[in-house]
Amino acid sequence: MRWIKKSVNDPEKVRKLVVWGLMAEHVFFSLFGDKHVPKSFNYLNKIGVEFVLSPLVHSDQSAWVNLFAPTEILHAMDIYPLCIEAFSSFLVGFQCEDVYIDYAQRFGISDTLCSYHKGFIGAALTDLLPKPKFMITSSMLCDANISTFRYLSWYHHVPMYSIDVPFEYSSQSVSYLEGQLREMVKMLEQVTGKKMDEDKLKEVIKRENKTHAYMNRYIDVLRYKCHPTTLTLEMYMLFVTHTFMGTQQTLRFFEILMDEMESFPDSKAKRVFWVHIVPFYPHGLKRYFNYSQHYEVLGLDLNFDYLEEMDCDNPYRALAIKMILNHGNGPYQRKIGSIMNIIDRLQPDGVIHFCQWGCKQSVGGMMLLKQMLDERGIPFLALDGDGADRRNHHEGQVNTRLEAFLEMIGKRERCL
Amino acid sequence: MTVGYICRYTPVKLLESMGVECRRIEPGYIDNEVAEALMHPNVCTYVKGVLSEVVRGGYDGIILVNCCDSARRLYDVLKNAKKDMMVYMLDLPRKSGDQAVAVYTGEIKKFVQAFADFYSKEFNVQDFKKYISIEKNAEQNNRPKMRKGISLAIMGARCSAYLVDLIKKAGADEVLNYTCTGDLLEYPPLFDKSAREQEMIEWYAGCLMRSIPCMRMADIDRRRDVLKDIMANVNGIVYHTIKFCEFYSYEYSYIKDNYHFPILKIETDFTSDSEGQLMTRVSAFVESLRGRDEIRKTLRKSGKKIVAGVDSGSLSTDVVILDEDYNILSYSVMPTGASIVESADRAFSQAIEKAGISRDDISFVVSTGYGRINIPFADKQVTEITCHGKGAYFLNNGVRTIIDIGGQDSKVIRLDDNGNVVDFVMNDRCSAGTGRFLEVMAKALEIPLEKMGEEAQKATEDINITSICTVFAESEVISLIAQNKKRADIVKGLHNSVASKTIGLLDRIGRKGAYMMTGGVAKNRGVVEAIEQKIGEKVYVPEEPQIAGALGAAILALQE
Repeated sequence: MRWIKKSVNDPEKVRKLVVWGLMAEHVFFSLFGDKHVPKSFNYLNKIGVEFVLSPLVHSDQSAWVNLFAPTEILHAMDIYPLCIEAFSSFLVGFQCEDVYIDYAQRFGISDTLCSYHKGFIGAALTDLLPKPKFMITSSMLCDANISTFRYLSWYHHVPMYSIDVPFEYSSQSVSYLEGQLREMVKMLEQVTGKKMDEDKLKEVIKRENKTHAYMNRYIDVLRYKCHPTTLTLEMYMLFVTHTFMGTQQTLRFFEILMDEMESFPDSKAKRVFWVHIVPFYPHGLKRYFNYSQHYEVLGLDLNFDYLEEMDCDNPYRALAIKMILNHGNGPYQRKIGSIMNIIDRLQPDGVIHFCQWGCKQSVGGMMLLKQMLDERGIPFLALDGDGADRRNHHEGQVNTRLEAFLEMIGKRERCL
Repeated sequence: MTVGYICRYTPVKLLESMGVECRRIEPGYIDNEVAEALMHPNVCTYVKGVLSEVVRGGYDGIILVNCCDSARRLYDVLKNAKKDMMVYMLDLPRKSGDQAVAVYTGEIKKFVQAFADFYSKEFNVQDFKKYISIEKNAEQNNRPKMRKGISLAIMGARCSAYLVDLIKKAGADEVLNYTCTGDLLEYPPLFDKSAREQEMIEWYAGCLMRSIPCMRMADIDRRRDVLKDIMANVNGIVYHTIKFCEFYSYEYSYIKDNYHFPILKIETDFTSDSEGQLMTRVSAFVESLRGRDEIRKTLRKSGKKIVAGVDSGSLSTDVVILDEDYNILSYSVMPTGASIVESADRAFSQAIEKAGISRDDISFVVSTGYGRINIPFADKQVTEITCHGKGAYFLNNGVRTIIDIGGQDSKVIRLDDNGNVVDFVMNDRCSAGTGRFLEVMAKALEIPLEKMGEEAQKATEDINITSICTVFAESEVISLIAQNKKRADIVKGLHNSVASKTIGLLDRIGRKGAYMMTGGVAKNRGVVEAIEQKIGEKVYVPEEPQIAGALGAAILALQE
């Protein structure tokens, strides 16, 4: 990690270090894996590393995307997506996020911007990342998406497409979005020289439907079964529920998971449903939730933000509908409705809302969610911090809040 | 009836044609109690202000546009909190092609219908046409006029009328508001007089969406074209950002990176807090634009023999007395305390006494620093940026970069070969990396401030203080104390943290030796060494680093 920090001005060297590090991790999870977690989660770890590694190694066939980009289109065209939020998380894993964040801020980027964006901007400006062929961002959820991608597209002279996702669902808004997706594909074809085969896109959507069906079953089983996992793996789930949705690997992961899940013991833990991202590095959080039999994180709401059956015969329209009806898009009441629905299915003992530094769209509505949970008598905790910059995390404060919350929902003494 | 709105993409004229008074919400304060109870401390400060104002009352309806994350959540929160009135949000596309205009036309029609139903009002297209024609004629008077004196453009995030006034007060002769609250961005084309309701709304949607875009929109090429026009017509740009709104920092970075044009970035919370610091920065910017020659011209006046410079800073008030041969007759450094006037008086009296002269012997006094306008006996006020430049160059004419860390702010000033200020950066409102930061930490560590440099010499372990904010860093220090870390190691960590913050500031204008450090923090050897280590070069510290500003003020007084 220190090597990376010391070599910020030698991007080639840092890139090699990052690629070697990821390859070593890939080998580890292919051969051994983490004995404390089920087979499926080791497979998830392996493919997660692959997902980040491929666009770095094959940058001439890669596209930078945000978490909510319709990557199904890229999978159908065999283009490797590099999700910027995921890469920033890896910078945290390599413990070098601070130098890249500072680098971006020195360029004038606001210090209150989401650290996932700042880290990635810093990495892009230092040339740590090889230039991609294309960039795709959607406007949904987060203001920073279009701004960050536009900035990087200018800086690197790489073409990009901004997808404007309307707030409300209507036939007009769906057509507006569908038109944009078709326009984007034309642009992608021109830039990459690859042709879109619509049958392949339909196949991707079919796999997505199968995955959604598995995920719905997963939720039903999760209500009773214990699933020993880690916070890191909960974040890895975002790979399969978003950027790599519709791929063979994702489908395979859920197949293995469902095969295993039935044989897991019934859960006796106190269980928490997590809203928004979860930082995977804080010691206190790891101590309570990683592999724990006593406290479990049932999942992140982000991983269940759209689970509907999609019309695979009209893939563009289906993708447009999926984006508009994502629970994070539209009024906050939609998100509350979706979270309450999952909560009804999972019956957690409490809900933790993580207030990510710079994420106004989530923190701004938090009190509305709290109000609704209060009405239902479900304990709620808000934790402030930063999943992508250790410097904005305050261990003592987070631990005090967390422990008090766990005391509140009971069973803390067993863990100690 | 009065309807509040925030965004210029709101179809205001349509409502006005229906006889509704539309008031753009410009909150003057933030009620944190309300804002934090209903939202979160980290949402945009403007939105927190709007929430405070709407909750206080005075509006019959609120019309929002989904312009940003904070505004979207403002809608959700207001919708829930204000059930007695219409809280409406229009879904504004980010693109401006035909399909996007069609989508927004549909949105506006839906809105007009909802509005008419809620308030029992009728929309009449003929009234709208009439209203638009009158408005268009009135707008002709708002275009930029002939340039005279120092003309500044304000760009970036929305700015209040208060901010425009502040820039004028800081010395700008003309201020052109190119933010969304200005009226310089809209150039509506003509409409077809025979148009019916659908076509008129479509025309209006097109006008709104095809005006110069704000940074929230997807295609902003036209902003870049306008930028070139702006630069051709003004002396400098004041670039405004709002705390917890990040759209504009990207454009600031783009301009700074691609053009060598005078630009000053300021960040506010949209209210009138921190006026003093803003005034200093904008005044210094205006001064640097006026050019040294012009300043010299105005300063040249025959004078008597002894002059004084007074630097009224947030933590200390310093006075320097000079004779006409530039000899320092005496100086004094006093804590500012609660009263600027009293402490200036005391410091002035002490310096006079030391020099063995009387008040009447002093022919001219220049004041500088935060409190400069409130020094009753000063003949002229000059910002501390100019004064520090002057003083530091006088002390060592090899210096090209001055790092000044005072009680409340830190700044880096770049001088040219003749000692003129050519660029500067200053910290924003927060006290991270300033003397105040060290003072708070010294208190937490129960060590006198002046002993910190010495204490750091005993350090054996590298501790990284990662929090940038003073408040967070204090709790981090308390955690470190709880972990039983050595005080010397924590102190060294703090010095490194101040040095990092300073280097961040320095790198915004680039590195160029020789360096001089001034201000109270320069007395702390630990910080100076940490900075030297990071830049790999020696930093010159004058014998009395706190008086550089007052000295510069005295030199300027001598030139009167």
